[in-house]
Amino acid sequence: MSNLIKQGLPLASARAPLVQFVRFRGKINIQRPKEPHYERARVVAVTQPKYPEPPKALTCFQSRAERLGTQVENPYNAIIAREVRNWLDHSKLVAIFHLNSIMADELFRVRVQLHKQNMHLKSYGRKIIAQAVAGTQYEAIMPLFHSNHCIVFSPDQHRVAALLRLTRKVPQMVLLGGIVENTLLSRNELMDFAQMPGLQVAQAQLVQTLNMAAGNVVQQLQAHQCNLVKVLDVHAKSDAATEPTNETQS
Amino acid sequence: MSVPFSGTLSRSGGIVSAIGKQLKSVNLKGVKRITVQFDPFAENVKSTREFLFLLSTPKVSQTNPKCVVKPDIVCDRSPALIKFALIDSAQEKAKVKEIRFNSENLNTLELLQLCNKHVSALAPPEEVANKVLTKAEKQKLGGGGKKVIKKK
Repeated sequence: MSNLIKQGLPLASARAPLVQFVRFRGKINIQRPKEPHYERARVVAVTQPKYPEPPKALTCFQSRAERLGTQVENPYNAIIAREVRNWLDHSKLVAIFHLNSIMADELFRVRVQLHKQNMHLKSYGRKIIAQAVAGTQYEAIMPLFHSNHCIVFSPDQHRVAALLRLTRKVPQMVLLGGIVENTLLSRNELMDFAQMPGLQVAQAQLVQTLNMAAGNVVQQLQAHQCNLVKVLDVHAKSDAATEPTNETQS
Repeated sequence: MSVPFSGTLSRSGGIVSAIGKQLKSVNLKGVKRITVQFDPFAENVKSTREFLFLLSTPKVSQTNPKCVVKPDIVCDRSPALIKFALIDSAQEKAKVKEIRFNSENLNTLELLQLCNKHVSALAPPEEVANKVLTKAEKQKLGGGGKKVIKKK
């Protein structure tokens, strides 16, 4: 012991330090521990932790709902629900598809093709969509999410034709319905909407229809004069044709 | 006095494992075409949609690659319908041309059970193709008597 206690400067000691090896390369034994000495065993037994058990009598007759009621809902769900609501509010076109069993890379290919057309393919859980949509005008779409689904959002509503063209090539995606400009459309209505011409064309057709009434009257008033002019034209042409033939003959 | 044992020795795995068990025995070899017709906004179409999804899984579709599963969406709130158009040999066996399920009041497990009962039973039996024998098997069958030891 005295040779361990150094007096003076530590570096001045000339003796080698006393080092005792406890273990070298040997494997320690934890699977067959030695039985402890009685005294040690007594201490260990006394110091074992004792946890209070919840009294079963309180929870025995509680229903599952009551027992689980103490669990707090994950606040992340609210964040995702807000994201869904945002997407629904800011996209002019929302199309909902039933999704059959599909390979992930095929789905990715579809997602890329849709993204090139400024359409976004997304999917959310039913509970989160229910939370997002409860009490809003979008509540009617809830029955579409009972099974495996995906949603396509697009900020402009003229992409319906492109969407139908792309998803026609994907047999696993089955169109169920959609929302265009805050109007819920069924599948057939959505397909008709894609076939419809644009707004300007529709406006031009309306103008034409409105002008047709007046145009009809004008046409009927001028009918006889036009007819007379046509007949005279034909007559004049036939006269011009016969005159040269007469000249050649004579 | 002890009461004699009644009940089950093993517990059931729940509805999901029951559906899995039925799915394993689905065989579409006797079907030419399956048409699943439903209105997505009608009531009670969940089981039909789940059934459609299960039919589209690779395991089921590989039992008969020629069979086409066609989803048909209608918009008139008509009740959901599943039609199985049978192949000729199956038609002779069952004496009907197609089998129809009205799936409005059936759940997914019941649909699969009925499918197995009526449709999978009509699958034509598999023909055993000619087995290619390995050298060892050929020797065992034919060369039992003569064993030529080649010395090099």
